[in-house]
Amino acid sequence: MIRSLPRLAALAGKQLLRHPLRTGFSAAGIAAGMFLFTSVETLQRSLRRATEVAAADTTLVVYRENRFCPATSRLPEHYAESIRRIEGVREVIPIKVQVNNCGASLDVVTFRGVPPGDLFRYGPEIKIVKGSLEEWERIDDGALLGSQFAARRGLEPGDRFDAAGITVQVCGVIQSPFPQDASVAYVKLPFLQQASRTGLGVVTQFNVRVESAALVEPVADRIDEEFRSASEPTATRPEKAFFAETAGELIEIVAFSRWLGLGAVLAVAGLVGNALLLIVRSRVREHALLRTLGYPDKAIGFLVLSEGALLGALGGIAGVGLAILLLNLKSFTFSNEGQSLAIRADPAVLLTGLAAALALSLLASLWPAWRALRSPIVENLRR
Amino acid sequence: MLPFSYALRNLFRDPVRLLQTVGGSALVVLLMMTACSLTSGMRRVLGATGSPRNVLLLGAGSEENVERSEILPSAAGIAETSLRGISAPLNQRAVSPEIHFMTFLEVDGFPRRQARVRGVTPKAFLTYPGVRILAGALPESGEILAGRLAWRRLNLPKDLLQPGARLRIDGVAVSVSAVFAAPGTVMESEIWADLDDLRTFAKRDTLSCVVLRLGDAAFQDIDLFTKQRLDLELSAVRESDYYGRLAEFYAPLRTMTWITAALVASGAILGGLNTLYAAFASRIREMATLQAIGFSRAALAFSLVQESLVACLSGTLLASAFAIAFLDGRTATFSIGSFILEVSPGVALTGLLTGSTLGLLGALPAAWRCLRPPLPEALRS
Repeated sequence: MIRSLPRLAALAGKQLLRHPLRTGFSAAGIAAGMFLFTSVETLQRSLRRATEVAAADTTLVVYRENRFCPATSRLPEHYAESIRRIEGVREVIPIKVQVNNCGASLDVVTFRGVPPGDLFRYGPEIKIVKGSLEEWERIDDGALLGSQFAARRGLEPGDRFDAAGITVQVCGVIQSPFPQDASVAYVKLPFLQQASRTGLGVVTQFNVRVESAALVEPVADRIDEEFRSASEPTATRPEKAFFAETAGELIEIVAFSRWLGLGAVLAVAGLVGNALLLIVRSRVREHALLRTLGYPDKAIGFLVLSEGALLGALGGIAGVGLAILLLNLKSFTFSNEGQSLAIRADPAVLLTGLAAALALSLLASLWPAWRALRSPIVENLRR
Repeated sequence: MLPFSYALRNLFRDPVRLLQTVGGSALVVLLMMTACSLTSGMRRVLGATGSPRNVLLLGAGSEENVERSEILPSAAGIAETSLRGISAPLNQRAVSPEIHFMTFLEVDGFPRRQARVRGVTPKAFLTYPGVRILAGALPESGEILAGRLAWRRLNLPKDLLQPGARLRIDGVAVSVSAVFAAPGTVMESEIWADLDDLRTFAKRDTLSCVVLRLGDAAFQDIDLFTKQRLDLELSAVRESDYYGRLAEFYAPLRTMTWITAALVASGAILGGLNTLYAAFASRIREMATLQAIGFSRAALAFSLVQESLVACLSGTLLASAFAIAFLDGRTATFSIGSFILEVSPGVALTGLLTGSTLGLLGALPAAWRCLRPPLPEALRS
């Protein structure tokens, strides 16, 4: 029996090829379902990456207390000096954030104004992959774009673009390990303060890197304590916790997408089950003949399961592959309140998608396989 | 022509298959109706919010986003006295200074919520004549007005935003003085507060915008005013254009809704096509026999289409009944507000067209396969 399994699988493949239309319809439907499943899974994983606090995280965000919108968080830039003096703070950078819209949508443009000398001191891991830092430092309206943002808009060094009432010249493209950097445009702080009319000396937030993960909470408390009685009190949180609270609408949308993923899974299971029931129904005599010739019930069951698995694999590879290709080519970014979620598919999504397609197809094939085994041979031969 | 009863009787020859076709088409139609209702609702609410008679004076460079805009507080008074042709019901010029502010709203026993608060003066009722107080009285200092759908947008129980309810904005206790309606607009999801109160909460001297309601004046008059008073750094935007641009901003979300519905529906469509193919393929000999006794291929194809249409339109009927019972009247939320889902004539037509297209397009290829073989070959199959 075991030795004949490859031949039975090959027979299942031939059976599928004998009905190209039915196979095509089924595989296309599975591909559509798995495309949606993979997109949802990528969205969920991207959100988990952005919001799940890891033990090694050492970044804090200092925001205006009781605010979540970059247009309404206004902190004096001079807070940076006081924060820097707090024990355990490794580096601090004042940031002015300007977005074209605070709502949750795709293709939001986020400007981050930073003191020119501070960006690479704060994040030495940031690398310029295109253009030059000298050019950015030389001109007032220069911008360094996150790689995902540059790819999404098709921008190259030397290009000019305007958004959120600000016109800038692209000086370079950066690659950064910080998730938020992938979809922003870094400009000089004084330029953004003046262009946005909030005025010099006012920033939206401070990003703080602390010496070790153990110091995250004590330093956050110290910062808030420092400004408790100031005119602009602060709320300091780890960067990922800040994202989770600020980008509430975005998180709601991503949470809702779980239901779409479930819908996709049910659609795939239904489609495979339906296709295989039709196959079993149309092959009643053939299966009866095989059983008369001595093929055991297990072989017939394996034949049906193989057809289901092959259909699942075919549709899964097409759907998962297409989704990953599209997500990586188009560099989608979901933004809300100046927080960006870069939607990137990783290898784990590919494996999850393919495994899900196979598992679903096999599960959906169980009932048709059972039906194929239970039908009486003599009656079926007479059909 | 074959009698209609022949098509009808054939449907019931295999009840499981009929159930599959009706259920599948109902699912596809329902998905399309839901997507249509969601996207048209989103567009409708933004379209209804922006009146072509209202003009927003925003800070130059902030034309896309009123929350970002900042203008001098004196701009409202200057505009009111300088501009002619502004609507003036009850001899009050319809010029409303406003602050649009995003802040946290706290209600005891619930996590704090992100809220959109609009600081207004009583003049707001002149620029938005559709706004009506449903219950309660106009707010005084320390009181707020709650839009009738604000509870839905804030995900709170409805009774917590009724007159007399107490909550905190930016840590300051306020009470709800009234609930207002602004039918079909995003304002119904907002919290309105006294302009001076909001100035204190927000710690800002500037306004977000000034809203003017045009009387005899044309938009160009207001635009000219902003260009003459360069010192005020204003930009005039028709309210309908502002919300039109917002609708464009949310276009990717609408596209995603359609794509998602189409992807889930495609599974059901392709499954349905498979079922129809199998159903018709098993009847090649029957079709050939009917041809042999004199029925034309066109008559048989028509009967097969009838059969498929009846099944798919039954699914459409089922989906429409479900949509009316469970979709119509429900509120949905998106970034800037809530809206009521409607099974409008447009949505119903989308459902009907989807069902009919499914019935037609699903049957034609399968009928072609069934009727294409030459008669002798088909009779022997």
